[in-house]
Amino acid sequence: MLLSKEEAKIALVVDDSAMQCKVLSILLKEEGYRVFTANDGARGVAMYVKYKPDLVLMDINMPVMNGYEAARKIKSLSQKNSLCPLIFITSMDTDNAFIESIDAGGDGILVRPFSPEVFKAKIKSIQRISDLYAQVKSLQLEQQMDAELAEQLMSGVIESRNYGLDKIGIIKQPAALFSGDIQLSALCPNGDINVLLGDFTGHGLRSSIGAIPLSETFRAMTRKGFSLHEIISQINTQLYDLLPADLFLCGTFLTISAHDGTAYLLNAGLPESYVFSEQGDIKHKILSNHPPIGVLPKLLADSKVKVISVEQTDRIILISDGIVEARNEQGDMYGFERFEESATLGIKSQNVCGIISESLKDFCQGMPQEDDISLIDIPCRGWEKSFVSNVAPPILSQAQVDDLYSVGVPVWEWDLSLTGNRLARVNPIPMVMGQINEIEGNDEHWNNLYTILTELFVNALDHGVLGLNSKLKSCPEGFVKYFTEREARLDGLNDGAIRIKLSFFPFIDGGRIKISIKDSGTGFDAQQQESKNDADVLALSGRGIDLVEQLCESLLYKESGTLAEATYVWTS
Amino acid sequence: MAVKLQVSDNKVSIIIEERFDFSLHQQFRDAYTGHEEAKTVFIVELSKTEYMDSSALGMILLLKDHAEKHSSTVIIRKPNASVNKILEIAQFHRLLPIEL
Repeated sequence: MLLSKEEAKIALVVDDSAMQCKVLSILLKEEGYRVFTANDGARGVAMYVKYKPDLVLMDINMPVMNGYEAARKIKSLSQKNSLCPLIFITSMDTDNAFIESIDAGGDGILVRPFSPEVFKAKIKSIQRISDLYAQVKSLQLEQQMDAELAEQLMSGVIESRNYGLDKIGIIKQPAALFSGDIQLSALCPNGDINVLLGDFTGHGLRSSIGAIPLSETFRAMTRKGFSLHEIISQINTQLYDLLPADLFLCGTFLTISAHDGTAYLLNAGLPESYVFSEQGDIKHKILSNHPPIGVLPKLLADSKVKVISVEQTDRIILISDGIVEARNEQGDMYGFERFEESATLGIKSQNVCGIISESLKDFCQGMPQEDDISLIDIPCRGWEKSFVSNVAPPILSQAQVDDLYSVGVPVWEWDLSLTGNRLARVNPIPMVMGQINEIEGNDEHWNNLYTILTELFVNALDHGVLGLNSKLKSCPEGFVKYFTEREARLDGLNDGAIRIKLSFFPFIDGGRIKISIKDSGTGFDAQQQESKNDADVLALSGRGIDLVEQLCESLLYKESGTLAEATYVWTS
Repeated sequence: MAVKLQVSDNKVSIIIEERFDFSLHQQFRDAYTGHEEAKTVFIVELSKTEYMDSSALGMILLLKDHAEKHSSTVIIRKPNASVNKILEIAQFHRLLPIEL
């Protein structure tokens, strides 16, 4: 946008002496102005309204309306975005005239007599100030428009797509118009929920550059079923490549898996995250154990995602530093103690956001906010419901049933074998799902398949290849031990293999997928010599199998439990 | 509020008083630009710093980039308890040495 106007500037001369008007007009024309004149204050105001001049020269003593009054009118009419400088021209060389001129809104005063050179110099100087004013105003306007756009993008596009807002409580109070804090939630294919509370460095538009790639990656990878660690790792690489060194994201990433009572959490640069019991007691505080995201080219290998066993009635609260660092007039910070007290109270009265907001407001007593304030309050239950509603087994027509049990040839087959440390490193499920989406297109019911594949694969890996016993998970201490042991065995994994095979049989308005997952483990029989009835299988392979059985047409363990064969059927 | 500079041999000490925030951006950058000799030790002296925000963390990372480009190093020295808490939350000890 060009700031200078190309066309000639307009000057308005208001003076009851025709002679004076003429002299000033000639001088102004020499300076390139188009000039209009008026012989009294009232007419001056009318001319001002009509021509919107860039400069006004005003006599003081005039009939009908004097210069001061006319100046006040003009200044009250002038648009906020232009200064429209006004100079009083007078022969009254008194302090009072000077003071009153400025009081009336004048931007300067010229006392007669003056030479043409002095007059022109005065005009130039006042025009310079006026141009600067216009420039600042226009930049300010542009900045405000940018900020509004960013704000709109953030609330309208990014955060409006959040999942589960009926259950998740959010406090969001930006310090500037646009907040550097970002709050995201998205549904995983298996019904788990992923949540992110992030705080980009700084405030305003600058801090928002990373928000779009961040939310896109977070959503897309969540939808495809990548693990939390894979998502964080990808976001880290992306932000590291994309943002300058001094821009980064402090963030807490969380997955709540309602069906197996587990929360996965990584805190990278935010204050502690909390797990509260139903009674409002703090069960866990999870401190930051990783530098902010986007600082290092790769995530630090020893900063693992924390695995926490949670009850259905627990609540997880994530905060950014704006809350604990909020100050009152005396300069004291709100601090962790006050926060924890109000959080406990909030949980007991089932109004976490309301009570914390209120307590914060009472504390700060209207002190201007220095940093963005945000909080997310997530229940550990309620996330399995949307998923279970999908479970209802399809009702097949006779034609479909005939189709289903005819020994058909699959229209496609796909298989993948992973061994050794590749098996430890690679999560094949998003790959498998990617293949299915490529060939058969996107569909809601693939979420069920995702769950089946994930559960069967995790079972094959944990119990088959790694030889872990899921009975360990039955108490909270064992739970932690289980995951530590799992981590250690994965790190040292040199042999062992898993083969995943899919065969696809379409039929009228639906289809059947046969899933075989074979692991290199010793099987159930070797671990447990007794009968391998359903209860034993369940005990060994965890709660997940229960779910798989609900979702599948059939589930069979063969070859001493090292081969799982599941059939998933759906109708569209 | 100021950034003070002490240069001796291969040491460049950048002393931050009172608040270390975005308003010091230019001064902080000016303090280390021009010091491009290899094996320089940049010391960010925080003993007089009362407050630090996340843009200050960003500035330290810019300094770290500058230092690494010229085979030099950065040390953070003597943060007070509240400033150290901020460094701790950001896990800066994983990135560069902090002398308490």
